[in-house]
Amino acid sequence: MHMADALLSPAVAATMYVASGAVAGVSIHKLKKDDEPRKLPVMAVTAALVFAGQMINYTIPGTGSSGHMCGGMLLSALLGPQAGFLSMIVILAIQCLFFADGGLLALGANVWNMAFYGCFVGYYLIWRPIVKSSLFGEGKPAMRARIALASVLGCIITLQLGAFSVVLETSLSGITELPFGTFVALMQPIHLAIGLVEGLITTAVLLFVYESRPELLMDVEAEADGSKRSLKAVVAVLAVVALLVGGGLSLLASSNPDGLEWALFGNAEEGYAENMGLDEEAYGVESAAADTAEAIQEKTAFLPDYAFADSDSAVGTSVSGIVGSAMVAGVAVLICLAGGFFRKKMTET
Amino acid sequence: MIKFQNVSFAYEKGRPVLRDLSFSIARGEAVGLIGANGAGKSTVMKLLLGLLFGEGRILVDGTEVSKANLAVIRRKLGFVLQNSDNQMFMPTVYEDMIFGPLNYGLSREETERRVDAVLARLGLTELKHRYNHKISGGEKRMAAIATVLAMEPEAILMDEPSSALDPCNRRIVINTIRDLTQTKLITSHDLDMILDTCTRVLLLSGGRLVADGPAEEILRDRALLEANRMELPLSLAGRR
Amino acid sequence: MNKMEKALYELSEMDELAARSSPIHRLHPAAKLLSTIAYIVVTVSFDKYDLSGLVPMLLWPVLLFQLSGIPVRTCFYKLRIVLPLVMAVGLFNPLFDRRIVLQLGTLAVSGGVISMLTLMLKGLLCLMASFLLMATTPIDKLCAALRMWHVPKLLVTLLLLTYRYVGVMTGELAVMTEAYHLRAPGQKGIHISAWGSFLGQLLLRSMDRAQELYASMLLRGYHEHFHYAPVRPFALKDALYAALSISAFLLLRYVHVAALLGKVIVR
Repeated sequence: MHMADALLSPAVAATMYVASGAVAGVSIHKLKKDDEPRKLPVMAVTAALVFAGQMINYTIPGTGSSGHMCGGMLLSALLGPQAGFLSMIVILAIQCLFFADGGLLALGANVWNMAFYGCFVGYYLIWRPIVKSSLFGEGKPAMRARIALASVLGCIITLQLGAFSVVLETSLSGITELPFGTFVALMQPIHLAIGLVEGLITTAVLLFVYESRPELLMDVEAEADGSKRSLKAVVAVLAVVALLVGGGLSLLASSNPDGLEWALFGNAEEGYAENMGLDEEAYGVESAAADTAEAIQEKTAFLPDYAFADSDSAVGTSVSGIVGSAMVAGVAVLICLAGGFFRKKMTET
Repeated sequence: MIKFQNVSFAYEKGRPVLRDLSFSIARGEAVGLIGANGAGKSTVMKLLLGLLFGEGRILVDGTEVSKANLAVIRRKLGFVLQNSDNQMFMPTVYEDMIFGPLNYGLSREETERRVDAVLARLGLTELKHRYNHKISGGEKRMAAIATVLAMEPEAILMDEPSSALDPCNRRIVINTIRDLTQTKLITSHDLDMILDTCTRVLLLSGGRLVADGPAEEILRDRALLEANRMELPLSLAGRR
Repeated sequence: MNKMEKALYELSEMDELAARSSPIHRLHPAAKLLSTIAYIVVTVSFDKYDLSGLVPMLLWPVLLFQLSGIPVRTCFYKLRIVLPLVMAVGLFNPLFDRRIVLQLGTLAVSGGVISMLTLMLKGLLCLMASFLLMATTPIDKLCAALRMWHVPKLLVTLLLLTYRYVGVMTGELAVMTEAYHLRAPGQKGIHISAWGSFLGQLLLRSMDRAQELYASMLLRGYHEHFHYAPVRPFALKDALYAALSISAFLLLRYVHVAALLGKVIVR
């Protein structure tokens, strides 16, 4: 997801610098008001850990491919959004300066796409509401479930937002000839799969921390002070997020209504919104081949209909939503398989 | 120079780590603090540095270790951590060495002079602009000692200064410590090193001071050492 | 070498390059940073079909490679993973943009091919520029320059501290990964049963480490203020370097040097 300098026009890059810079400024201000000097070494060591942790290959059971950790959600769960954001900036800066991952000019955009969503959206709209809620009931198992849900959901949503921003920024920069819709249809499903894997890895790490040192996690110990939120609040927040994401994307999509791309795009996004709740099932990779075949079959059968039927039929949309979900799952599996295949090829040669 | 008066400390209630500890160290003395794992050695160091606070009084050069006096106390004490990676947090050796002196308000020129003098004295001039993550373990330990010496402390505290070093680097560190004229308090399980660098030994066990005397005497007392989960230093064991 | 050891190797390679000496190394870091940013901005601002206008921009990195004595090979080795990704985005252009814009004898070149090549060249140039900056400027000097430009102290200090601990943590994870694979031969990655604890263990240890690190800062009189390695004052030659290079970029941007040169030969 790291964007290179060449993918941005100076105007877009500058805008993203201003946006990220403003958030950084606010974060620094907030941290200074709190206890900054004490936190500094913790931030540095955790950032370094996440940097190194991104290089670990996690084998995904049943696929032979491997996934990686993103870090945005992990950092904000451990350090809070502001400190997490600044730590991500530093990680991205080191990656761009020393490993040519990203670019000097694109740093502002990369910070926005990966750190802002991961830390602020991920924390305020997902982590805190879920972890502080009474979802799944009381006690440790419920808390574990909440941490898992928040991590998976957080990684998926923030990666979707990030991937969409990449498309938006590249398109606004006028860099690629790839039509906007096609680009979105390429990026979002890939990042759905990536987000899911990252979410599961983040879950595993955070659950381990919860078992051993729960006090390290943000908001987890706050349970005792009675500042719980109801399940309703969580659902409401999630619904708002889903609406914003889905609605925003559809709006943008309808401004670019040309045939297959539009359908693909629309489907992918609705599929994503519907998929949010049940990613774990969608990810059941055991029967990967069967799912893929099914998905391809469904795709070829339904898509033309949908593209011609246009958008005003409510039935059409819900059918397309299901098809979209299946496609997304199928593409996700395909990508996992392809990733594994290419990695294998690369290690063999 | 350093005085503990009836010091007790517990991390958790009912599980004391130090019990009614009293001793004093005169200026210029070199003292080894030994004892089994968990005997309370690190806690003594942390209390002395004001990283922890317990019951009783601790005096450094007549000043009581308290929150209000931290700057004064820490100015007089230099602490070499066991893990040099935790001590050397700046990218280069040089930047780590200027960190302390500049924080205490020394001028750039004076700091520069000190850094060069310390490096020359320890034979590390070549390390000055090297990166901390690129020097060897032995070099890192010596550099960590240099960062503390650049602050010109009146007393130096060391936690396992000879751990994880090869025999040659261990010898270099030992010789360096021997040449230091400051008051020294060294904790270690490397009793041969203690014998080489210290004139007096404090033996802790279960948070109590069980022996205090000349190094030669205590480190020769096989029964005392073995009763406290230690053994005779190799150089005194008379083995072949 | 596993991935982490490779990363460590790359880090130390950059440190070594940056520690060399050359006229470029000796320039003030702020001057280098400024001209690098200007170079990247000018490079990406070229029109997407302006391949021939962009080509002369290649001269600056070539010149810097020569002046600084940094091996080009190292640069390309470093870019081997990133470059294809940049290229991949451009690969679609020939499919979507088939307008013929250039007829070379019997060979018809479409707009898409031109814009693809332009994009690839832009990517290469920007990556080379950043690489040259870091290969000639140590991180501590760069941080000093950032402070000069009033980048917040907290951020710069965090960058320095993190840079330091990236080495430590990557090293520890490299050892842990090796230890893991010694007891799990044939596994390509970390098995799902260890997903949490593998990084989690190190994370918990790191929190303790952060505390000890903070103690060691306090013991040396830390109070919210970091002092950096002194950088010599910004001199006339630094200003000249920055001014000259930036005017050269602007010249190349607005005067079509390649076309002018071409006209000398082709009428």
